Amino acid sequence: MVVLEARGLSKTYRKGPTPVRALDRVDLDIERGRLFAFLGRNGAGKTTFIKIAATLLLPTEGEVLLFDRDVVREPSAARRQMALVPQEGKLFYHLTPREHIREYLRVRGVSAETTKSRTDAILEEMGLLPYQNMIALRLSGGLQQRTLVAMILATEAPFLFLDEPTLGMDPFARRQVWEVIRKATSRGSTVLLTTHYLDEAEQLSDELAVIEGGHILYHGTSEALKSTMGREVRVQFAGTLRPEELASFGKVFAERGRTVVLTTRASVPELTELALARGIEITVGPVALEEAFLELVGRGIEEEE
Amino acid sequence: MSVGSQAYAAVRICYFNGIIPLWRSPLLIAAVFLTPFSFLFFLFVIAPHALFPYGVVGGLLFTALFTGSGMLNDCAYLRLERQLQQVFVASPVSPLGYILGMALSELAFSIPAMALFLGILFLVHPVSALAGIGLVGLLLLTWLMATSLGFFISTLFAQLREIWPIGTLVFSVLAVLPPIFYPATEIPAAWRWVAFLAPSTFAAQLADRLVGLGGAITTGIPFVDTPYFDLAGLLGFALLFGAAALFFARWRER
Repeated sequence: MVVLEARGLSKTYRKGPTPVRALDRVDLDIERGRLFAFLGRNGAGKTTFIKIAATLLLPTEGEVLLFDRDVVREPSAARRQMALVPQEGKLFYHLTPREHIREYLRVRGVSAETTKSRTDAILEEMGLLPYQNMIALRLSGGLQQRTLVAMILATEAPFLFLDEPTLGMDPFARRQVWEVIRKATSRGSTVLLTTHYLDEAEQLSDELAVIEGGHILYHGTSEALKSTMGREVRVQFAGTLRPEELASFGKVFAERGRTVVLTTRASVPELTELALARGIEITVGPVALEEAFLELVGRGIEEEE
Repeated sequence: MSVGSQAYAAVRICYFNGIIPLWRSPLLIAAVFLTPFSFLFFLFVIAPHALFPYGVVGGLLFTALFTGSGMLNDCAYLRLERQLQQVFVASPVSPLGYILGMALSELAFSIPAMALFLGILFLVHPVSALAGIGLVGLLLLTWLMATSLGFFISTLFAQLREIWPIGTLVFSVLAVLPPIFYPATEIPAAWRWVAFLAPSTFAAQLADRLVGLGGAITTGIPFVDTPYFDLAGLLGFALLFGAAALFFARWRER
């Protein structure tokens, strides 16, 4: 069942001297219970899409239906179904994490009893219990962000917009948040997530879209995106080799004094032999989403130019 | 959400955005009280003592009017700096619930200062219980008008730096220049009509009449010289700014 449907969605900002086309006729469907990741460089259009779908911004053209409700014509009906972690959102400096979660749930009309149980649960799941009674002013940036995410996830809203939810968090905290997000989708909530951490998108998403210059360049799974490269293995030489030697194996580039080849599984034995012959240590692993993303977005930019 | 739920949301917003910060930082009370009290002290020193009750009523109205300035700054700060208004927009909370909640928070900050000024008024110029109730009603209407205007202005700008000078300008023009701390008749006759461009003039004249102070502008036009004209003027501005906050404020960006 499709719960978010965007058709011909465009947005042009006309505030500066030249209009900026942030979204250009974007079509997108997101199904219920899926975790959908939106990837793109800064200014690619991710946040503009979220702002329109979350009823914060009016589109220039096109429509977004959330649970069959048009977010422009029926915003109140759409808003009943959603909760949002805004990009770079901050807390009320004078409230504690427990108060943030409790008060936000109460304002949204959640009963006192449910609020109590959800607040206790999310504080524990997000590792916030030791800090639950500290005012936000005294919390680190990562803990503040965790509190904001906890406040939104505790709503158990049918649709969750998470705009860079793990920004500034340490790796442990990120993994805690991932767990809670997974729980939300297993409960039936749908999540639209934007992130610059591609490992996060790879770990979490059922489906993703790559956006560049307001256009969707790719829509599918992370595995399918990686397979579009035609090279599924990353071979890293702990030293420098001449690119001409390796060019026939695939894509070659240098990274922090190492030579990296993105290639096929079949080429691995030959490359291993080459490394042994030269006495260079090699590391073989699967291609990461980041490489596929860089190649795709890079290609998009080249085509534009 | 039903009307009842929205009202409850407003009370809850007032609790966490008004009561809790007051409880944790009681100095906020002094901050609200300080400016009008300074004006009053200044008047006490330089003006004839017969004008002191005008100054006390002025302090009350100034406090009620400056809830609008607080509303403007707080709403702009929550929207632009902390992105928290967005969290409420993308939720079942209606614009009315949010605006009312924020306005109630501002009222919570101002109630201690208003109570102090009311106390001073009862000491220096005793008024009847009925007049006292009327004065409280007038303060509430002034608060509604000022906070509606504050919210409306807060949504018009994209930068905090643009909003601060505008807020200071608007609310200084509303709360300092008009005849709030002094009788309207002190304004030169040729310029008295200008005073009626400010809603605070209507509020001040009505307040002075309620507590039995003279000094309202007389024009010789029957309706204009009555308290009903002042009430109608204040109500008109309150409705205008209320409509601006509810229907023309940018709850959603364009």
